[in-house]
Amino acid sequence: MGGMQRQDWVALAATLAGGALLFWGGMAAGAYWQVVALTLAMWIALVQSWSLFSGLTGYISLGHAVAYGLGAYLMATQFRELPVWLLIPAGGILAGAVALIVAVPVLRVRGPYFVILTFGLAELVKFLLLRLETALGASSRLLFGAPGTDVLLAWMVALAVAATLLRHGIGRSRFGRGLVAIREDEVAAETLGVPVTRYKVIAFALSCVIPGMVGAVMALRSTYFEVLQVFSPTISFTIVTMAIIGGSGDARGPVLGALFLVGLSEILRGTAPQLYLIIMGVSLVAFVLFAPSGLLGLLRRKGG
Amino acid sequence: MMTSLLSGQLLFAAAVLGALYALVGLGMNLVYGTMRLLNVAHGDLLMLGAYAAFWWFTLTALSPLLALPLVAAMGAGIGLLLYALLFRRQLAQGLPPEVIEARSLLLFFGLSVAIQNITAYAFTATPRAYRHLDTVWQVGQTAMTGNRIAALAVAGVILAGVLVFLRRTTFGMEIQALIQHREAARIVGIDVGRVQAVAIALGFASAAVAGALLSMTEQVTPFMGFRFTIAAFVVVILGGLGNIRGGILAGFLLAIIEIYAVTLFSSEARSILIYGAFVAILVLRPQGLLGRARR
Repeated sequence: MGGMQRQDWVALAATLAGGALLFWGGMAAGAYWQVVALTLAMWIALVQSWSLFSGLTGYISLGHAVAYGLGAYLMATQFRELPVWLLIPAGGILAGAVALIVAVPVLRVRGPYFVILTFGLAELVKFLLLRLETALGASSRLLFGAPGTDVLLAWMVALAVAATLLRHGIGRSRFGRGLVAIREDEVAAETLGVPVTRYKVIAFALSCVIPGMVGAVMALRSTYFEVLQVFSPTISFTIVTMAIIGGSGDARGPVLGALFLVGLSEILRGTAPQLYLIIMGVSLVAFVLFAPSGLLGLLRRKGG
Repeated sequence: MMTSLLSGQLLFAAAVLGALYALVGLGMNLVYGTMRLLNVAHGDLLMLGAYAAFWWFTLTALSPLLALPLVAAMGAGIGLLLYALLFRRQLAQGLPPEVIEARSLLLFFGLSVAIQNITAYAFTATPRAYRHLDTVWQVGQTAMTGNRIAALAVAGVILAGVLVFLRRTTFGMEIQALIQHREAARIVGIDVGRVQAVAIALGFASAAVAGALLSMTEQVTPFMGFRFTIAAFVVVILGGLGNIRGGILAGFLLAIIEIYAVTLFSSEARSILIYGAFVAILVLRPQGLLGRARR
């Protein structure tokens, strides 16, 4: 790492300040805004984690709903047995461990084939778990006595802050530069001595840990677990769309992307909820065509 | 048990499904092969074709088979529109295939989300169905409904027609040339832009027609296309990317596996099987089972 530089201190201060604003602002503004703050923190945590792997390496994952779902599944099945503070990190560890297992075969596949593979794999896991749940006679699960929104918001903001700092720190580390080298030219990176496979596998597993914890918290939030809902491809799609719209040049991109789509969703929720997904799809097309480096790229261009 | 597994009933079901898979895979193969576009919205074109047939039948009470030319024209029109708006300039820039693949994947993905939800917005998410040609024909031990026979016949004729078109006409050979080697095709004087436009029109039209045929036997919903996008990928990868005949064989192969899995296990096994096959093929043999690696 080579010690913290000025811009690292700025990033740290900005992230902590943003987290504090999100938590206390949400708490002070009443029940509705608490939920909005929770949703925003959730997406920031998910998109930052995704960006840590997919943004840096260019291996676009459409399977991060699985990490989220595994954390939620662990929470839903063990909620009565184990304390919440243990289950949330355990959800992250479970998601990371599963990612580690599938990483080696899956990461051999490159480019767009990797993208559709992660999507297919996520659907496969979803249908396998659906079958398991049917066999267990549990088509849905209810969680009674989950903590209140204030506790969950605190957890989620902490996860968003942690994911943002992790994304920033790794982006500026030797490891992160190795990942970017893989994105630029994998063969060349290998020739230059970057341990390509090890880096990809570690980054992939790491990028699934916080989403697993997010899933565990969200299971408490919805107090209801159903495989099709939690392992929904829409979650992976939304992550990718937010990342593209925000831009993945640095840790600010995911925040911008999450703000944009969560804001859009809140504006349209009251009037035309179906329009949200339509606009999301169209925005993705527009950004890919006209602003491939996202809102972050537009801001940078404005700034000179 | 063995005799029941070899029954005409199952083979007929596999033939109908296989013809539809082959048709869907053919469209994806044409679009990928000539332009390197990864069309993850392919199944949504099928869905639009299914809705078009449903509304045609509901509003006119005429056979959806009569609407097939219209449905094909609709698919081709959408294909040409997207080509003109989104892809023509990018393709003409001579970007490396990896960039085209990645960018088209994201573009089609955004389009897929938009198309599905516009459809849900316009027609609601309620599943739709209609009854047409559902009289049962008994041939020996095999009971076949008229609509399935019609679907098989129409899909078979289109597949055969496209194969003849690709092999016997100059234009078809130009498409094949483009699939095999883009630069060489340009050098020998093939109008690449025109061939690409025809390929995308043909590919989208075949998806829409497959949807219209399917609508006679299955419920129509805005989100029905997903399964067929994935099936098309399985078929195309199994048959070898850009390999038209391999893809048609692979369509029937996938249908046979699927029909037997559903019969032997349960209907839930269908999704597990399709996605399982998809993952296994990509991890083990991304260059396809029947085809050679192209690159």
